[in-house]
Amino acid sequence: MTLHSDHIAGGIFVVFGLLIFALSGDLPFGSLSFPGAGMMPKLVAGFLIMFALLLILRGNESAPVATLSWGDFPHAVRVVAITAVAIALYQTLGFPITMALLLFALTFGTERRNPFVAAGFSLGTIALTYLLFTVALKTPLERGILGY
Amino acid sequence: MGTVDSLLLGFSVALQPDVLWYAFLGCLVGTIVGVLPGIGPLSGISILLPATFGLDTTKSVVMLAGIYYGSQYGGSTTSILMRIPGEAASVMTCIDGYAMAQKGRAGAALCIAAVGSWIAGTFGVIMLTLIAPPLATFALRFGPPEYTALLVLGLIFLAYMSSTSLPRTLLMACFGLLLGTVGIDNMTGHFRYSFDIAELGDGIGIVPVAIGLFGLGEILSTPSANVVGKVIAPKLRELLPSRAEWRQSAMPIARGSILGFLIGLTPGSAHIISSFLSYGVERRLSKHPEEFGKGAVAGVAGPESANNAASTGAFVPMLALGLPTGPITAVLIAALMIHGVPPGPTLVNEHPNIFWGFVASMYVGNLMLLALNLPLVGIFVNVLRIPYAYLYPLVIMFCIIGVYEVSHSIVDVWIMLIMGVVGYGLRKFGLDPAPLVLGLVIAPTFEMSLRQSLIMSNGNWAIFFQRPIALVLLGVCAVLLGLAALSLIRSRKDWRSELAEAEAGENP
Repeated sequence: MTLHSDHIAGGIFVVFGLLIFALSGDLPFGSLSFPGAGMMPKLVAGFLIMFALLLILRGNESAPVATLSWGDFPHAVRVVAITAVAIALYQTLGFPITMALLLFALTFGTERRNPFVAAGFSLGTIALTYLLFTVALKTPLERGILGY
Repeated sequence: MGTVDSLLLGFSVALQPDVLWYAFLGCLVGTIVGVLPGIGPLSGISILLPATFGLDTTKSVVMLAGIYYGSQYGGSTTSILMRIPGEAASVMTCIDGYAMAQKGRAGAALCIAAVGSWIAGTFGVIMLTLIAPPLATFALRFGPPEYTALLVLGLIFLAYMSSTSLPRTLLMACFGLLLGTVGIDNMTGHFRYSFDIAELGDGIGIVPVAIGLFGLGEILSTPSANVVGKVIAPKLRELLPSRAEWRQSAMPIARGSILGFLIGLTPGSAHIISSFLSYGVERRLSKHPEEFGKGAVAGVAGPESANNAASTGAFVPMLALGLPTGPITAVLIAALMIHGVPPGPTLVNEHPNIFWGFVASMYVGNLMLLALNLPLVGIFVNVLRIPYAYLYPLVIMFCIIGVYEVSHSIVDVWIMLIMGVVGYGLRKFGLDPAPLVLGLVIAPTFEMSLRQSLIMSNGNWAIFFQRPIALVLLGVCAVLLGLAALSLIRSRKDWRSELAEAEAGENP
């Protein structure tokens, strides 16, 4: 049997629906005349599983998994990793340092641009953005441990 | 107060210099957002949302709405000059717009797109002026059962209109509804799925989810090596279409305006659907259908008018009923609520300055856009010369700032990143993220009205069939489900499957 993309997608959502049921154990369903906090999530999770099963049943109409293109995957992984590091550092290092590092890492590290151009682009952009938000829009950006 | 008096009140607000300035700013940013591929109006509005916190409600909504309808104007520029849709609704303009550009008629195509957009946008605002106030008065009769039925209809309509299959759309809507249940239950105070993270007590915000799914998700699936494009720069003197081109565009603009506005009233990606439908209608009505794809004027005039009228039409349910028809109007509703103004039936009566000021600003905004898009097209074209390798890091930076500044919560930024990965995965498996956002937005209202209805009826579901308005709305749901089932049984290729094929890049 050929595995199709909808078989995978449907399977993921069935597991997700079951997970919601498992996590909703403590939430009271209540009664019809006074529904509890668990009614809506359990009802919707039930529908979610139903539609996911329909997706699996009609899965043969979708593209075979082997034909899915993953050429963009390395780019996506690099961007996610760099963005995750920037988010983790944002409140500690503040806007100017974190975002300058983010821009430099993406333009030089991921896109292999000239390091001097990448550095100039990162620093120039940060300076302009900082001025735009702090001076023009009066919306101060996150300050880090260095105080700016 | 009559409509004319109310509109005069609106103009007295909209013509104040500072309101005019923010309308101009919104239109300018919207045009740039529309011009730049990869940044949609949703990302633009979300990123600038925190910048509006210091403004009063009218100015902030005027500016954010300007970004929305401005992006519909700007989207045509890249479609015509580069064959890259700057905005999803401009996909159809690529076909004949770029073909016109290759024949040396780029200026005429841009002019027809801008004038068509202006006529359609103004028509949309006139209809908004006439329809929204009586609809809001009618909506005052709505109780919890009517709202529940209306929201169910919204979801079913979205699924019916969607180019993907009914189960796929409803699956995504359910996913969104589930995300919308995270946080404190308003009726009982129970914490749901918050995992001891205090920030999740308030629920998952629309902005991080929308920016993650649409902004970051798009970037993750677009490596810079895949973005290439040659820009055709038209000269100013080439902008005027010939008399024959004006004649050929007149009726498509009129039809596109009406069709777009009507589709704009319904939930879903109305501005995208309307341009696809308008293209199909024009090709069917044309005496020379063989010209479509080779530079037909109607293929530019119709879709461009339709998507602008649809984006204005979407404001009717948003302002009159407080119901978002898509993720963009959902973020605009969030913007109103941040300023303490709930949209819906009470907005027209209790905040006439905001409502009518907003409506009047759209008349002015459409004129500004016409002035911006024609003479300054050369400047906007230069924006396209920024290499994508430098552009997408900028977008990621603004995504992080935009999400963080809404509530200074780093948890929201993590949610954005997670939703970016989810958006990437959904694209891979051909699942549309728009119903997810709609589900998330309506989840609190839907749950509250459903539970209130059941409490009102002491647990009797028949309450939804005993009240006339709710009964009619559910009747429409049944008809739509029946139609969807019928086309499934017959396995017939209808306009929705044609739309799906066109979206997938096949020949429309």
